[in-house]
Amino acid sequence: MFSSSFRKYLFICKTRIIRSFTYRFDVFGNILMQTIVMVTTAFFWKALFQDETFRNGITADNMMTYTIMSSVLSVLFTTGVERRIQESVEKGSIAIDLMRPVNVFGMFFAEDLGNLIALLFQNLLPILLLGSLLIKVPTIVSVSAIPMFAVSVILSMAINWLTAAIFGMWAFTAISMDALFQVKKHLIRLLSGSIIPIWFFPKWLAGILNALPFVYIYQLPLDIYIGSASNEEIQGRMLIQLIWVLILAALFYLFSKKSLKKVLVQGG
Amino acid sequence: MKKVHFCLAHHLRVTMYTIKMALLTIIEYPSNILGWLISNPIQFLLGFATIKFAVEQFGEINGWDYGQLAFLYGISVISHALSMIFFVQGWFMGYYVIDGAFDRFLTRPMSVLYQFFFTNINIFGFTDLIPGILVFLYGCVQTDFAFTVSNVLGIIVMLTGAVLIRGGIYILLGSTSFWTKSANDFGQFTQEIFDKTTMYPLSMYPEAMQLILTFLIPIGWVSFYPASELLGMKTLCSSGGMGVWITLAAGIATMLAAGLVFQTGLKKYESAGN
Repeated sequence: MFSSSFRKYLFICKTRIIRSFTYRFDVFGNILMQTIVMVTTAFFWKALFQDETFRNGITADNMMTYTIMSSVLSVLFTTGVERRIQESVEKGSIAIDLMRPVNVFGMFFAEDLGNLIALLFQNLLPILLLGSLLIKVPTIVSVSAIPMFAVSVILSMAINWLTAAIFGMWAFTAISMDALFQVKKHLIRLLSGSIIPIWFFPKWLAGILNALPFVYIYQLPLDIYIGSASNEEIQGRMLIQLIWVLILAALFYLFSKKSLKKVLVQGG
Repeated sequence: MKKVHFCLAHHLRVTMYTIKMALLTIIEYPSNILGWLISNPIQFLLGFATIKFAVEQFGEINGWDYGQLAFLYGISVISHALSMIFFVQGWFMGYYVIDGAFDRFLTRPMSVLYQFFFTNINIFGFTDLIPGILVFLYGCVQTDFAFTVSNVLGIIVMLTGAVLIRGGIYILLGSTSFWTKSANDFGQFTQEIFDKTTMYPLSMYPEAMQLILTFLIPIGWVSFYPASELLGMKTLCSSGGMGVWITLAAGIATMLAAGLVFQTGLKKYESAGN
């Protein structure tokens, strides 16, 4: 029983991988764009830091690593679930999605996973390579930080996907979501430490952000990677990260039951 | 003379009608307007706030303090907003070519270029204008910018030029679809590049890149050179006190080139069959 339903999701995952390799221009375009963003951000930090050291011992060199790894992580945090829901509702094909003999969110997750596997080769590796060539080789602060980094990235991915899915559930009832998606995108971009680490923010603002889930998407794994916080601090924050995963998972479970009852089906 | 007058009045009337239509279309989805009204200001105000926080820690970046950066950032966002209002369709030209949407323009008794530019007024662009003006005014206060007649004239000339440069580049990129026949969406791509090169001082990039963005692609003239001149900042290439006028000239030249490429490309247009 378990293996047969697992195989369904695996198949969905596989079709996505195959599909991803058919759009070649998108691939090159994305790599080029992400590289430009990465390199220009690196120049921004170089110009800002000059030869100075920030109060937590961070130098321009650390910021180069931060920038490259942030771009790399952003590939892992690519999700299609919100758009997927919106498009299905817009076209009315959500009715067919719901009739399929799989859990609809399980299907969206499998699709995202398939896309992600393709992106590892199409985006993550090229960006890591280009970053190493054009900026510097982004080395981790110490070998002992690797397991912690890996665990926190997985938790980050969970927070990221759950946030996207919960957010996407709105699309079941509201058709036009473009602006809302933009709001979410910018909030995550600017308040998660993906572009500018939150240690630069005023204390009060950093305090508020530390209570929100966003910083546990980018900032925490990146802090672990460049070693900008003590071990005790990291462990404390990883605990909060785990708590956020659990809270979001609970919310996801709750909302997914409710939202499916209110699905708006249009067209015919 | 009478004929020219009639022609102008006719074009003006058509433009007014399309603006009215654009307004009516967006009123159809009120929640959408509200969404953009929140989303776009958040993007740019938060964007500037984060830069300010980072720069404040060090005092300045390449000799620019955050007041001057606000001035530059504001100009960049205002010119972006205006270009969104008038020229955003350049981003979607690929879809027009693929869908055969130019058929509609070609069969009407007006120039295709005129119709394409002026019958697609994007009212949502105004939501970008608000944060742009706010950050710009903040920068003006921080830098004690004097609103003298020549400065105000300078800003108007500069913004006109900047919008023409941006619009010209959108259309040049979009026109490639006539040849490639594919719906490449350059929107996000161009926005990222313009953001990175016009919101921050160009002087933080390597000299080779600065030279390219000064002489080859006139992006440096969108905000960096004219703003430097208005604020009295040093730049790699001196604009000799003519910065805002060079921006205008560069804008007109880019737009003329874009128009030419558009017209040439249009001859390659072969509609979409169905």
